[in-house]
Amino acid sequence: MGRRMSVADISYVLAIGGLATVALTILVGPVVIVLLTSFGDSQSLKFPPPGLTTKWYEALFDASQSRQIHRAAGNTLWVAGCATAGAILFGTLAALGLARSRSRLARIADTAFMSPLVLPGLAFGLAALMYFTFLGLRPSLELIMLGHAVVIVPFVLRTASASLSQLDPALLESSASLGASWLYTLRRVTLPIIAPGIVAGGFLAFIASMDNVPVSLFLAGPRSDMLPIRLWGMMESTLDVRVAAVSGIMVASVLGLMLIMERLVGLTRRMRD
Amino acid sequence: MITGDRLAASTAAGSRARGNTVDLEGIVHRYGGLKAVDDVSLNIEAGEIAALLGPSGCGKTTLLRVIAGFVRQSAGRVLVDGRSIDDLPANRRNVGIVFQNYALFPHMTVAENVAYGLAARGIGRAARAPLVDRFLDVVQLKALKDRLPKQISGGQQQRVALARALAVEPSVLLLDEPFSALDKGLRLDMQIEIKRLQRQFGLTAILVTHDQEEAMSVADRIAVMHKGRVEQYDTPSAVYDRPATPFVNSFIGTTNLLPGRVIGREGGSALIELDAGAVLAVPVEASIAHGMRVQVSARPEHLELHATAAPDRLPVQVGLVVPLGPTAVLDLRMRDGAGIKLSDRRTDSLPAVGAALHCGFRADARPSVFPLATN
Repeated sequence: MGRRMSVADISYVLAIGGLATVALTILVGPVVIVLLTSFGDSQSLKFPPPGLTTKWYEALFDASQSRQIHRAAGNTLWVAGCATAGAILFGTLAALGLARSRSRLARIADTAFMSPLVLPGLAFGLAALMYFTFLGLRPSLELIMLGHAVVIVPFVLRTASASLSQLDPALLESSASLGASWLYTLRRVTLPIIAPGIVAGGFLAFIASMDNVPVSLFLAGPRSDMLPIRLWGMMESTLDVRVAAVSGIMVASVLGLMLIMERLVGLTRRMRD
Repeated sequence: MITGDRLAASTAAGSRARGNTVDLEGIVHRYGGLKAVDDVSLNIEAGEIAALLGPSGCGKTTLLRVIAGFVRQSAGRVLVDGRSIDDLPANRRNVGIVFQNYALFPHMTVAENVAYGLAARGIGRAARAPLVDRFLDVVQLKALKDRLPKQISGGQQQRVALARALAVEPSVLLLDEPFSALDKGLRLDMQIEIKRLQRQFGLTAILVTHDQEEAMSVADRIAVMHKGRVEQYDTPSAVYDRPATPFVNSFIGTTNLLPGRVIGREGGSALIELDAGAVLAVPVEASIAHGMRVQVSARPEHLELHATAAPDRLPVQVGLVVPLGPTAVLDLRMRDGAGIKLSDRRTDSLPAVGAALHCGFRADARPSVFPLATN
């Protein structure tokens, strides 16, 4: 038997519940609308759709109709993959280096590594373009990878640092006393234990790279078309419903990946750390 | 065959002591301006268990970490079997450690944990397997070899930690508060187990603990530490019966400190008049001089009650009787109102609360006498 609620209790529940409902509507609503739109049979982006069809998805997967989208998607996945690999390498190394040191220099370096997270993307994109041009480099896919890697390193650094801070130092001492070199300890103890944290950070980094517009915008050359930029272009010119179909696929695959990640490494738990 | 030889060698080792001596020479360790370890010298015989006993912050753990090579001492030397190991990094000291929380690798099975040190030394999988089996046998955990640490109990985890440390055939075994996380019942079992294994492998072991009972039951010799210094290093019974300093006296066991004055001195003994009203003849150190203010340490089990008065008996009143299994502890009030504890075999004829009696030393008691700091 629940006890009777007072007026204060009721108003608390109503206020919090109401806010949560509003927040969920704002967060989930657009996703629902874009999904419904992608199955709509009108010729342009329109909600609510007059009828339902899967022809936009068919058109999207048809190589002859959607060659440019395919190339942009390929570029985006390739860049995100390489940038994530780079971010995992450098983020993990940085986390390992910073974890041991409590010096002021280490704190400053930590802040510097994290700065892309708070720096406006546009400002970083412009700065990167000017810097690379100054170095004599032309905008290209490789430059986008580099730019993305810098912007997404914080995700890996944060989660790897969080995992490292929970690593019992006695494990490392134990390993040393059993005769292991630091490299052996790193390979057999440290990395396996912090791996879930690194994977979780890598996942977030990958999504952030897939989604990145400002850095790609500045660093893209004529042959390096990226998916978010291509979608924007299609929106501007034709209101092509395939844009909604692409969004639908991205939502579905990210959702699927998140479920897998949650299962494998406890993603939400690591994001709270 | 290498495997067979190693196996045979370690089995044969069961019958002969092959431990190493451990000598600490003037070890000093400073944290900032603070001396955590202050000029400690200890000699630990081969095949002995020495306990570093003291309250938290006394420097015992720091000393252990110096021996393990996790911290570098500010001064002094650590010798194993007569050779200095100061310049060796921790992973080349061949020191086995069992940590307070066991520090098992959580992502490895029991067998993988035990195999870890062997693998780190480059011993191949095929050669490792029989050794791992043997050490799992030694701690009776073969049935659980494929479990993860979180799937076994605390006592079992400790046995895994022990097997892991023993598997690399360490020259010294370091035990850092290894029993403190165990239930009281299990603790005694594990103490016996560790002692058995240490004997079986003829290992020299160093036990860090703050628990005096644990040190007494496990160690061959106890170094009582206080504020970074070793106050006394002796056998458990000597530390208990003949404490060298008032700190050792109060830290080991319980005791009653009775203030008094030396009123006579003859040969090796002194006549001491206790403030509570009794005169005792006690053997004392040469440093105890006539006229000196002293305190006499009376262990509860060294006291007994009498119905009749005598010059060497204190008049007391029974305040409280606490039966504790086979013994009973009596809280007595002296004439000046101060309390004094006495323990005795529990019988049916315990004195009643409030009874006025006389408390004296047993004939075989040898109370310690310390100079009383006058301030």
